[in-house]
Amino acid sequence: MKPAGQMMKQVLRGGSAVIASLIIGGASLTFAQESVAVRAALVTGGLPLDDPNAAAWSSVSPASFPMSPQVHWPNRIQEVTVKDVAVRALYDGKQVVFLLEYADPTQDPDDGAALEFMVGDKKAHFAHGQPMLQVEGGPVNIWFWKNKTGKAVDMSAKGFGTLKPQAHQDVNAKGAYSNGTWKVVFSRNLSTDHPEEDVQITPGQFISIAFAVWDGRKDAAGELVEKGSQKAVSSWWYFRADAPPDYSSYMYAAVAVALAWGFQFVLIRKLKKGQ
Amino acid sequence: MGALGKPIILMVTMYLFLKFVLPNIPGSAPLPSSLIFLYLLLTVSGIVIYETLSGETKDAFWGPMQGFLTGEKIGGLQALRYGVLILFPLLVGWQTYGSTATSDLPPTEGRTIHPAPPGEYTGLSNPVPKTPDNIMQGKGFYAAFCSPCHGGNFDGKGPAARGFNPPPANFADPTTIAMLQESYLFWRIKKGGVGLPIEGAPWRSAMPRWEVELPDEWIWKIIMGEYDGAHQSPRTWE
Repeated sequence: MKPAGQMMKQVLRGGSAVIASLIIGGASLTFAQESVAVRAALVTGGLPLDDPNAAAWSSVSPASFPMSPQVHWPNRIQEVTVKDVAVRALYDGKQVVFLLEYADPTQDPDDGAALEFMVGDKKAHFAHGQPMLQVEGGPVNIWFWKNKTGKAVDMSAKGFGTLKPQAHQDVNAKGAYSNGTWKVVFSRNLSTDHPEEDVQITPGQFISIAFAVWDGRKDAAGELVEKGSQKAVSSWWYFRADAPPDYSSYMYAAVAVALAWGFQFVLIRKLKKGQ
Repeated sequence: MGALGKPIILMVTMYLFLKFVLPNIPGSAPLPSSLIFLYLLLTVSGIVIYETLSGETKDAFWGPMQGFLTGEKIGGLQALRYGVLILFPLLVGWQTYGSTATSDLPPTEGRTIHPAPPGEYTGLSNPVPKTPDNIMQGKGFYAAFCSPCHGGNFDGKGPAARGFNPPPANFADPTTIAMLQESYLFWRIKKGGVGLPIEGAPWRSAMPRWEVELPDEWIWKIIMGEYDGAHQSPRTWE
């Protein structure tokens, strides 16, 4: 019975390989995607670093994210102007550039926008890295642009009331307003000399990103409505500088097809001999 | 196919039992598909062991499958045989590609929706008497503090909800507050999203840490008002 026993083992092994591959395939389909990501394609030269209206942007498809009024912590705001932001990004191996685009009916000196990132290996809460009770969190790196200064401030925070500009300013930003739409570009080197306070961007790796926007409009009394913590905020989403495409998995698949075909061939030949 | 008939019926019966009968036994719950798969795998293993115990049953069990693979006397099934022999390597190749290809998708940070609370927040009971006045007050607090996100209809669709991921909980859904004890809600409201353990992904949560602004008594009243408003009852201690 030995040949039959060996045959059985082959069948069982082959069968469990099929089952295992079905489990892996099935499992990967059942994970629902909660997150959306903005991706930066790699370009060779000609990054639109200062130009929100550059032609290069028109070939990049935006990722759109919804915004909420900041209602969790004082000082709250129940309603904000900006409901969505559209984000595009590009990089060239040395620098990364983001384009933030959103609808804002009026152009005001106090209009502002910011990008937020986690820093280092630790997670950080999206509200300025506020402390978490059971998890040790890290700081956040905030790139903050204001219309009236016309530039960006590179900032750090680790909890409410701790937001401050960094000693080393690495971020550039430029805004352009037209027809009820703001377009703001933020640019920075992928890596900086201060990884303990600056987000480091590695191509191929997903990192967390969040957005905030202020509409600098004033109410009837001449007071700013959206200021400080009274802003439009988003949750954490994902950003990735996409690495160039890699075709090795096609090769692995081809090898697997050859192996499976070979297994079938050997198995059937053995079965025929046994009959 | 005679010898395969019983195993197939057994597998189908087992699947239907696991999917529809077992969850309805008191104290049980719907089984995750991975667990159902595991039980079915065990059943298959048992069938194979059983059928291969003796020479005769083994031949009767494997015979049809062997015959199919070698193409012996299967007549009109030749086309199906070729189909299987062609598709199997392709399936293996496709699965290999799927598991080796760098994913274009962001990481799936599986988040535990209801992680275990700290010990001091289990077993607490609502100290506020359940009177219409207290329920009314609770609903008033809810409207002021909770409804911007959780909605005036307790459905998680408040005006401020749309930008948040994960979204605010829908209290009208039977898998939220209806499945939890009041003690659990007290923990979640008081300590907020930042109070979650790591498996709850606290860095993502927009849930405020209400203990900073609200006294315990108000939180208990909100809980009472919330259950009433959402037409749910808390899960009680057995």
